[in-house]
Amino acid sequence: MSKEQIESLFPNLSGSVYSVASPQTAEYNCIAWAAGDHDKWWWPDQQNQYFWPPGIPRSEAVEAFTKAYESLGYTLREDAEYEDGFEKIAIYVDFAGKPTHAARQLNPVLWTSKLGKLEDIEHTLDALVGPQYGDVAAILRRPKPLL
Amino acid sequence: MTYVGTTFAEVDPVNIDIKNTAVSEESSLIQDEYRRSVEHYLIPFSRQWSNSLIRFSMLRAEWEADTAHLSSVTEIAMHPAYQQIIGMGPIAIPLILSAMKKKPDHWFWALRSITGEDPILNENRGQIPQMTKAWLNWGVEQGYIV
Repeated sequence: MSKEQIESLFPNLSGSVYSVASPQTAEYNCIAWAAGDHDKWWWPDQQNQYFWPPGIPRSEAVEAFTKAYESLGYTLREDAEYEDGFEKIAIYVDFAGKPTHAARQLNPVLWTSKLGKLEDIEHTLDALVGPQYGDVAAILRRPKPLL
Repeated sequence: MTYVGTTFAEVDPVNIDIKNTAVSEESSLIQDEYRRSVEHYLIPFSRQWSNSLIRFSMLRAEWEADTAHLSSVTEIAMHPAYQQIIGMGPIAIPLILSAMKKKPDHWFWALRSITGEDPILNENRGQIPQMTKAWLNWGVEQGYIV
């Protein structure tokens, strides 16, 4: 998808610092990508077709999504500021409070996101706020894994 | 021979007032029903299938364009065009299998809803290539794919 098409979906990207970082793929989604998984589509769907971490409620509530990330060692935090030695995840929700998207922090400025089955992009946290993904409702962090 | 009444030249074909013609509302209804019955019983299945292919392609294009940026499987599957594809019933099965053979996509809800089957192994849930393969194998077993 061209940058113009991406910006038409997410108008706040226009004029912000962002870049497209991968080709399109339907093999993983933003929830998986934020968790560091790039070969599964994570979603707690009621038909039980897609991956969801074992033992976590299959519910489209933000609490179920935070529990999914807590199972990977993340804990809820108040702020999205970059902290050395930690990685953070932001969960976006729509006007009804349903999770729509997740992004993972890369550095003091940029976050990485997979846009549905489109590309991965690197962007500022606020640039994806808007009618498509809603607003950021939860921030989680965990110590950066040792390489 | 002389005919009494409205001549053909005097009739506005767009705004025919049925009360001033020899055709009653009842016979007009019967005509419509007859036309529908003829279409239903006499149009060859191959042409019905061809119409379904066109309908499927249009709905699929609309669904893909509107949902490509979404992660929520619920939102993706509840899109009106996707729901209409499910509503097409079994005639959509070979069309979906053919589409997913060319390009894997989120057809799993639709196939499960139409067929009531679930050939995906638990350990493969969320892995689109393996999920696609499971449904394509099912399609071969059921004779939808030769």
